[in-house]
Amino acid sequence: MSRQERLLWWLASVALAVLLVMMVAKLSELRLLSPIFLPPPQRIWAALTKGLTTGNLATMSLATIRHMVVGLAIAACLGIGLGAMIGTSAKARAYLLPTLEILRPFPSSAIIPVTIAYFGLTETMMLAVIAFGSLWPILMGTIHGFAMIEPRLADVSRALGLSRRSALMKIALPHAMPDILGGMRIGLTMALVLATVGEMLTGRNGLGQTILLAARSFRTADLYAGIILLGVIGFASMLIFDRVERRLLHWRS
Amino acid sequence: MARAPAAADPVIAASGVSLDLGGTAVLSDIDLAVARGEVVCIVGASGCGKTSLLRLLAGLLHPTAGAVSYEGQPVSKPRSDIAFVFQDYGKALLPWRNAAQNVSLALEAIGMPKAARSNRIAELLAKVGLAGHAEKLPHELSGGMQQRLQIARCLAQEPSVLLMDEPFGALDAMTRQALQDETLAIAEASRASIVFVTHDLDEAIYLGDRVLGLAGSPGRIGDTVAVRLPRPRDQLTTREDPEFVRLRRALHDFIGTVASDRQAR
Amino acid sequence: MERRPVHFNWRGLVLPVGFLLGVELIATTTSIERDAFAPPSAILSAAAGTLASGAALKATAETLITAGSGLLLGLLLGLLLGIPLGLDRRADLLMMVPLESLRPVPPVALIPLSLLIFGFGYRMEIAVVAFAVVGPIFLFTRSAIRGIEPQLMEVAHALGLGFVARVTKIVLPAILPRICVAFRVALGIALVVAVTVEITANPLGLGYAMTIAQQSLQPDLMFALLLWIGLTGWSLNALLLAAESRLFGAAA
Repeated sequence: MSRQERLLWWLASVALAVLLVMMVAKLSELRLLSPIFLPPPQRIWAALTKGLTTGNLATMSLATIRHMVVGLAIAACLGIGLGAMIGTSAKARAYLLPTLEILRPFPSSAIIPVTIAYFGLTETMMLAVIAFGSLWPILMGTIHGFAMIEPRLADVSRALGLSRRSALMKIALPHAMPDILGGMRIGLTMALVLATVGEMLTGRNGLGQTILLAARSFRTADLYAGIILLGVIGFASMLIFDRVERRLLHWRS
Repeated sequence: MARAPAAADPVIAASGVSLDLGGTAVLSDIDLAVARGEVVCIVGASGCGKTSLLRLLAGLLHPTAGAVSYEGQPVSKPRSDIAFVFQDYGKALLPWRNAAQNVSLALEAIGMPKAARSNRIAELLAKVGLAGHAEKLPHELSGGMQQRLQIARCLAQEPSVLLMDEPFGALDAMTRQALQDETLAIAEASRASIVFVTHDLDEAIYLGDRVLGLAGSPGRIGDTVAVRLPRPRDQLTTREDPEFVRLRRALHDFIGTVASDRQAR
Repeated sequence: MERRPVHFNWRGLVLPVGFLLGVELIATTTSIERDAFAPPSAILSAAAGTLASGAALKATAETLITAGSGLLLGLLLGLLLGIPLGLDRRADLLMMVPLESLRPVPPVALIPLSLLIFGFGYRMEIAVVAFAVVGPIFLFTRSAIRGIEPQLMEVAHALGLGFVARVTKIVLPAILPRICVAFRVALGIALVVAVTVEITANPLGLGYAMTIAQQSLQPDLMFALLLWIGLTGWSLNALLLAAESRLFGAAA
């Protein structure tokens, strides 16, 4: 399919999306769709713009982003650091991998009651949950990346007499990067999910709290506005991540 | 003028070397001495331990018996004076570094300061004919160019010994011949000794001052042939030289006897 | 590569066994606050207790029913979307903007909405699980369809098969192994989402039981349920893996 054809179909897709939105607006106007469950798009838009400008949606969005980023950063530091140590040592892998494999299938959200028990409904609890949930994919990805060293590169490293630190930074790390980034991508998704859940449970600032409160008081337009913003955060973070990944892995054919 | 194999003062040597890997005897009682500036080729069928022998010389493997020495000193681990050219060049180059940066790796390993590196890299790339390709990533280079890049990186170590493991095996005939001549030119210019492993008899005779036949399981050095062909070698005339033909037959017979010995067992 | 005899990795046991023994020791020798801490022995007895009383099994049934229903619903929707859009490039491009706009929404964001529409109970949770599962199933199906050998589709064309026949006789059997893998992955997602919904909002199932245990300061029960959740997920996954290799063998 040529580029022009693709562009045309994409435009048609945009038109379809607009059409669907207009259809919903019409259905709502004709009271065929209860506005409690799906308010007319104009009202959602109004709630969105008002919330962002005069309301607190912007603050809440930033709070969610902050939770996401901080939790993810902790997970990344721990995950990559520990992953590098474990991945490069066959001994460490023998001792630790079985334990990690046992812990892996536990859903991260199931940890929440445990963390609440230890930390209470606090910011720390939230960050602990986010970090824990994002840690697993990053850790396992990093271990895999460092463990699966291309034997020829190991030969080259030894033949050139690279110091252990040089070998780690110049060969092992770049070689493991695709796996590390793969893990981080999943960790990123988990971070957003757990940040939202954490905010819903602890009632701390963030979009999770916003949408839960909106649902409780039947302010459906605000609820949808919050959901949209969460979608936007998810979309934007993936976009940024893709950019970063493409730059770091520019050498892939 | 033929280069007579020098006897005294080998730059790298293996004496009484045997190797067991995972319970199987791979090499048995290998004696080998390479003189300064000499080109020694090792031929043999696949699986007779040629690569293992090279890795022993490089210090990448430790012998089960006997010893490998470099300038009289035992070789316990790889050293910068000994460079290794791998057959699978694609896997031996860092895919995330371009050509210049790949060469740079060797210079970084020997501790050359950053300022001095760029000149040296340009020199080395020019030497192997990759002058305009410094910015290219390995996957953007052809097979022959990638192998040249690996050779350039090895030369960056300023080696006295170049160990080459079937380096041209994965390349087409024309590229192979061009690289054979380039290798000889490099050896001539840098006075490095070369230990060249191949399964191609013609290549071994063409390149070498001496050809060692490795055969059997475990591998032993069965035959040593001195190659008294004039240097510089030429792809056309040298290969038509009656001495070349005689050597090829002698080695071919050797390999043949070994093969039938194997079958008879 | 020669095959080495596989020996059991004893070193792998050192950490878990050591940890459990250590915790048990701390519990019996010190008087650490028991609100959030439970020694392995107490956890085991709590587990035995709740299993025997049937409470754990009831909660498990609730979670599995909702997860399973949501999974099947999501599977159906995912297939209904994935198959046509996988077969027809143009339809795929046409639907791209609407679908891609829905994709980045994290399923948990729908919990309040689902609560609003359905109130507490099964339906609300099934809806969220279905939404969470549709995306991955759709993507899997679409790429599985794209991966079908082109010759197979040519055969369908040559035989003059109609759309429905083409789908049922050629497409579905061809993608079946991959759909089973997708199903297994989706099951994991369904369980996690179900438990998350139960912990966050919905008063039924294992997640809710865990929350109650935590709130009523019964850490031994809480950890017991946590272990039970992990065990359930692991065994279901193992079961499906065994079924997969049975059914498809090398083709999987």
